[in-house]
Amino acid sequence: MLGRLKPWQRVLFLVLGILIGLWSAIPIAWMLITSLKPQEAIRTSDLVFSFTPTLENYRNLFFGGNRAGSFLVNSLLVSIISTFIALALGSLAGYGMAHWRSRHKKDVSFWILSTRMAPIAAVIVPLFVMFRIAGLVNTIPGLILACLTFNLPFAIWLMNAFFHQVPRSIEEAALVDGCSKMRAFWNVALPVTRPGLITTAVLCLVFAWNDYAFASSLGGPQTSTLPMAAGALVTQSGIDWGLLCALGIVIALPMLIAGLAVRRHLVTGLSLGAVTGE
Amino acid sequence: MSSAVATQETVAPAVEEQDKPPKEPRGFNTFEFALMAPTLALLALLSLVPFFTLIAMSFSDVRTLGRIRLEFTGLENWVDVFTNPAFWASWGRSLIYFTSIIVLEMVLGFAFAVVLNNLIRGRSLLLSVVLLPMFLAPVMVGLLARFLLDSTIGLYAKMLAGVGFDTDVFANPSTAMPAVILIDVWEWTPLVALIMLAGLTSVPPSTLEAAAVDGAGFFRSLFNIVIPQMKAVILVALLVRSMDAIRYFDVITATTNGGPADATKIIPIRLYEMAFRFNNQIGQAAVVGLTMLVFSIALANVFLRFFGDREVARAHVAGGDH
Repeated sequence: MLGRLKPWQRVLFLVLGILIGLWSAIPIAWMLITSLKPQEAIRTSDLVFSFTPTLENYRNLFFGGNRAGSFLVNSLLVSIISTFIALALGSLAGYGMAHWRSRHKKDVSFWILSTRMAPIAAVIVPLFVMFRIAGLVNTIPGLILACLTFNLPFAIWLMNAFFHQVPRSIEEAALVDGCSKMRAFWNVALPVTRPGLITTAVLCLVFAWNDYAFASSLGGPQTSTLPMAAGALVTQSGIDWGLLCALGIVIALPMLIAGLAVRRHLVTGLSLGAVTGE
Repeated sequence: MSSAVATQETVAPAVEEQDKPPKEPRGFNTFEFALMAPTLALLALLSLVPFFTLIAMSFSDVRTLGRIRLEFTGLENWVDVFTNPAFWASWGRSLIYFTSIIVLEMVLGFAFAVVLNNLIRGRSLLLSVVLLPMFLAPVMVGLLARFLLDSTIGLYAKMLAGVGFDTDVFANPSTAMPAVILIDVWEWTPLVALIMLAGLTSVPPSTLEAAAVDGAGFFRSLFNIVIPQMKAVILVALLVRSMDAIRYFDVITATTNGGPADATKIIPIRLYEMAFRFNNQIGQAAVVGLTMLVFSIALANVFLRFFGDREVARAHVAGGDH
C-alpha cells in the first residue's frame, strides 16, 4: 500500500506490527501460562517465569469439587442445539428472503435486523417474565430459546447476505432444466454457500458459547454454563486464579480454533454481510 | 486477502435482475415466503412477544414473588424513571463510555489495519494473533483483566507500578471508567481492524502508485486517497461497534459491577440492577429497556438505509463514487 516503502518505513511497520501482536497476545499467553503453574507459583507477589508446568489446575477444575464437566455439557448442549436450530431455520428464511419480492420486504428486513441489534439487557427483562410464566427459567430449553433471540435473526440476516452472493444464473439454469424450486435451493444454492453456512455456524456458536448475561439471569444451578462457572469462581473469600485461568483456556480454546478456521469469511459475518472479504 | 467494499458492489450485477423483475412472484402467497414463514413465526415469539411484554411491563407494577402478576399503574414507572437523576446520570456515563470506546477503536483499528497492510512478511500470522481477543467470552475478558490488574499479583499492575502508577484501578472512581473502556478496546479493536483491512486492500494499487509518482507522501495518500475510498467500510465498522457497545455489559459486570461510587454504572448495568437486585423495580427496568431500544432501532435504521436493501444500496454506492 501507499507506493513503495523506504527501508526505514519497513522497519517501522515491522516494529509496530510486533507491538500490536504483543498487545493482543500477552493477556492470553499469561492466562495460558498461569493455568499451567503450580499454586505456589501463582500465590506469590513475585512474578514467576520459571516453573515446572503442571495440569493440577485442570485436574482440580474437572475432578475436584468443581463440577466443570457438567458445566461443559450444559455449554455444549445450549450452544450446539441453538446453533443448529438457528442455522436450519436461518438458511431457509435467508434463502426465501434473498428471492422474495414484496412491498413489505423492507419492514421484514428492519424487524430482523433490529431484533439482532436489540440490547441484551432490554431483552432479558421481558424474557425473564415470559420464562417465569412458561416455567422455562433454569432449564436447558429456556437457555436455547434465549440464545435464539440473538442467533436466529443473525443467521437469517447473514445467510440472506450469503445467498445474495450466489450468481442468479446458476439457479436459473437449474430451474430451466426442470428443477423444482426446493431442489434449486437444496442442491444448487446451498452447496455453493457452504463457506457462508460454516461461517454463520461458527459465529452463532461463538455468541452462544460466550453468552453470560442470559445464562446468569435466566439460568440457574442446573443449567450453569462455563462462562457462568467462571463468574461463580469469584467469591468473597478470594479468587483461585489458577483455576480461573484453566477455565478461561477451556472456554477460549475451542472458539479460537473455530474462529480462525473461518478467518477468510469472518469480516463478512461480523459486519452482518455489509463487507465482503474476498 | 484481497477484498472489496460492501457486498452490493461484488454480488451479481444489478443489470441481470433489472431485466426480469416481473417474472418474480410477489407477496405472501409464494414459495419464497413459505420458506420464511416458520422462521418468522419463531422470531415473532422471540422478538415481538417480548417487545409487547416489555411495553406492558413499563405500565405495570410487576410482582415476581410466587406467580408473576402485572398490575396496571399507568405512567407511574415512566414518571419515576424520567424524574430520577440517577437514570440521566447513567445515560450520561453511557454516552461517555460509548463515545470513548468507539473513537478509540476506530482510530486504533484503522492504525492496526494500516500497519498490517504494510507488512511484507508475516501479515497473515500477525492477523491471526491480533484477532484472538474477540473470540474470548466478554465475562472472561473482564475476569482476566482483574487478574492482570490485581494490585498484589497482577502482571500489568506490576508494570504500571514500575512506571509509578501504583493504584487499584477498579477501586478508584477516576481510573475505573478508563479501565473498563480500555478492556473493551482490547477485545474489539481487532474487529474494527479486520473490517478496515478489508477496505484498505480494496483500494487499487494503481491509484496509489500514480499518487506516489506525483510526489504525494504517506499521509497525503492516506487522507486524500485511501480514507475517502473507505467511507462505506468505516461506516460499517462504526455501526457494528455502536450496536455491540450498547448490547454487551459483561465486562463491567465482571470487573466493577457499576462501582466504585457508580463511576461505571452505564445504562444496561442500572437496568440489570433494577430488574434483578431490587426486584420491585422490574416495571421501571422495562422503561429503561425501552429507552435503550430506541437507540438500537435508530442504529438499525441507519444500517438498513446504507447496507440493507441491496438494490438501493448498490445504486447509492455507485452514485457516491462519481
